[in-house]
Amino acid sequence: MSRRLEEKPRIMMTPMIDVVFQLLIFFIVTIKQEDIFSHLDISRPAPDPNQREEQIENLIEILVGHLQTGFSMNGRIMTSDQLEARLRELASYDKKAPVVIKCTGQSLHGKLVTVLDICWEVELRNLSVFSM
Amino acid sequence: MRKKLDDPEVNMTPMIDVVFQLMIFFIVTIKLNEQVNEDIILEDAVHGPVIQDVQDPRLFIVEVDRRGAISIHGKTHGASQLRNILATRRKRYGSAEFPVLIRADYRAKHQDVRKVLDVCTDVGIWRLDFVAVKEHKATAGRHRGDKGGGMVRR
Repeated sequence: MSRRLEEKPRIMMTPMIDVVFQLLIFFIVTIKQEDIFSHLDISRPAPDPNQREEQIENLIEILVGHLQTGFSMNGRIMTSDQLEARLRELASYDKKAPVVIKCTGQSLHGKLVTVLDICWEVELRNLSVFSM
Repeated sequence: MRKKLDDPEVNMTPMIDVVFQLMIFFIVTIKLNEQVNEDIILEDAVHGPVIQDVQDPRLFIVEVDRRGAISIHGKTHGASQLRNILATRRKRYGSAEFPVLIRADYRAKHQDVRKVLDVCTDVGIWRLDFVAVKEHKATAGRHRGDKGGGMVRR
């Protein structure tokens, strides 16, 4: 008893440490590493009847969903590797060339993203998406 | 002399310091308000620009799942409801220049994604962003497993 009185008053740390540990365990258990996401910008101009007749120079036209699954560019069927090689070549002439990506209704969205990714890779940025 | 009478005590201070540091780290990095549809598997796009932590409060995320259902913050909406929501936003912000992100499943058909695109175009939003995965951290190998290994591109 006499010893107690001699001691300095102390804050009880134990409950606080308990709470802090509980919180820590909660955060460690619930933390989830996030995927890193990329965004692929496109423009989607509304059909303008006045512009339809105009021929755009250097237009690159890619069809997604050709024969259900494939790609075609300016009418030629291609695999994604061929498409990449061709686009790289075209991009070396003109990086500002407008690219029009046409998608059929049944084509998978993943295919469109693949084409957009290839375009980003070869630094073609002027991308438009049309639906058929 | 008094020390000897006491029970031997572990010095708690450094441990508490470390625990507090960890606590602060986790509290700062945790994201509680994210409501994304976990069932949506995104296509890979390793060359696209990284989405920075978007601070724009006007950011609008539309999700399209593999069956073509359109949802915002986990609530499914029809195309006409989406149009109303976007039109209201446009009116509120005074312009159509707010960021719209589309999180569409790679298995979704374009005809379903198109509905979102068409609504956006109708409302006057020209610039759209598709979200894709640049680097797998949480979902490592899930998408690739689906496609039989290797890169997604075929």
